[in-house]
Amino acid sequence: MLTTFGNWLDDRLGWKSVWEAIFLRKIPHVNWLYTLGSATLFVIINQAVTGILLTLYYVPTPDHAYDSVVYITTQLPMGWFIRGLHHWGASAMVVLVVLHMLRVFFYGAYKYPREVTWITGVLLFIITIGFGFTGYLLPWDQRAFWATTVGTRIIGVAPVIGDWMLRVARGGEDLSAVTLARFFGTHVWVLPATLLILVGIHLYLVIRNGISAVPGKDE
Amino acid sequence: MDESKKEEKIDRSDFMKATIVGVGGLIGIAYGLPAIAYVVGPAAKQEAGDWIELGSTSKIELNTPTLFKTVVETQTGWIKTQEEISAYVLTENGQDFTVLSNVCTHLGCRVRWIDDEDRFFCPCHNGAFSKTGTVIGGPPPRPLDRFENKVEDGILYIRRGG
Repeated sequence: MLTTFGNWLDDRLGWKSVWEAIFLRKIPHVNWLYTLGSATLFVIINQAVTGILLTLYYVPTPDHAYDSVVYITTQLPMGWFIRGLHHWGASAMVVLVVLHMLRVFFYGAYKYPREVTWITGVLLFIITIGFGFTGYLLPWDQRAFWATTVGTRIIGVAPVIGDWMLRVARGGEDLSAVTLARFFGTHVWVLPATLLILVGIHLYLVIRNGISAVPGKDE
Repeated sequence: MDESKKEEKIDRSDFMKATIVGVGGLIGIAYGLPAIAYVVGPAAKQEAGDWIELGSTSKIELNTPTLFKTVVETQTGWIKTQEEISAYVLTENGQDFTVLSNVCTHLGCRVRWIDDEDRFFCPCHNGAFSKTGTVIGGPPPRPLDRFENKVEDGILYIRRGG
């Protein structure tokens, strides 16, 4: 029954060849360090699912942000769990991305023909940092406020255009409702959209080019 | 090797498939169940039926619905709001009280007691109720709701939410 339906669908969609290309591709004999990319992908999905759930209650304005976060954490059933997954997932994502990058770097896996995979990976690393930076402000507590005050001041250190970039980042002179709103918008729309596109390219290239073998001792 | 022995043997590929489906299912449940609780949580929460002070019973005229207004604090999500609750109190003997909600049972407009006509009137769709709350005209499907009430030291209380 299920097989018949699968075949019926395959005649129209050709999904079996896609499935085989993704999950049944040939790979060299590798080690556990090669799971870091998949682990990162898993955490990305975790961040997306829990992040979407958080937006059901979170309100990105100075008069509601903190209270809505407290409401999520203390009043809602499993709210602490959903927020906890998002909070710790964020840290795990940064750690995993860095470890994944180190593995690729020290195994020389970024070399021909995988340079573009590496470049999209570097961009994904920057986006991950962007997620962390914008997400940190959203609870709108003292730590968030002052961390972002300091973080945006660092932008201001850049020569010539620094002050202007600082004002763009904050949406004005100081941290305000404008800052919170644009950090939220960046965190839930701009960065996820960019991440989705780049992860798509990154995974396509991993499958198209295949993965590199563990380098030998004399290489 | 006969057929039955062959079936008992699980190869690596089948083992991996079973493990992936099993672990994947567990992860799905670990996300799915908390997510459902989290989403439906506020809907499942009932307002506590605490007593609200309406006012002194000495102000109430016999046999005439008397309007009482009181402000209660309600919390919706993380926002505390002041809500005004109005109720008509009716008594025949000054001891037993009937407290009627002023919310029309048709579509939720507020009803008003009109002394000259001896009835409650709802301006939205011309609903009319008698002084005890029974429907005497218009579209309302049932009598006015009544609050559970009690008197302590001459002060009338009603129970929130019915």
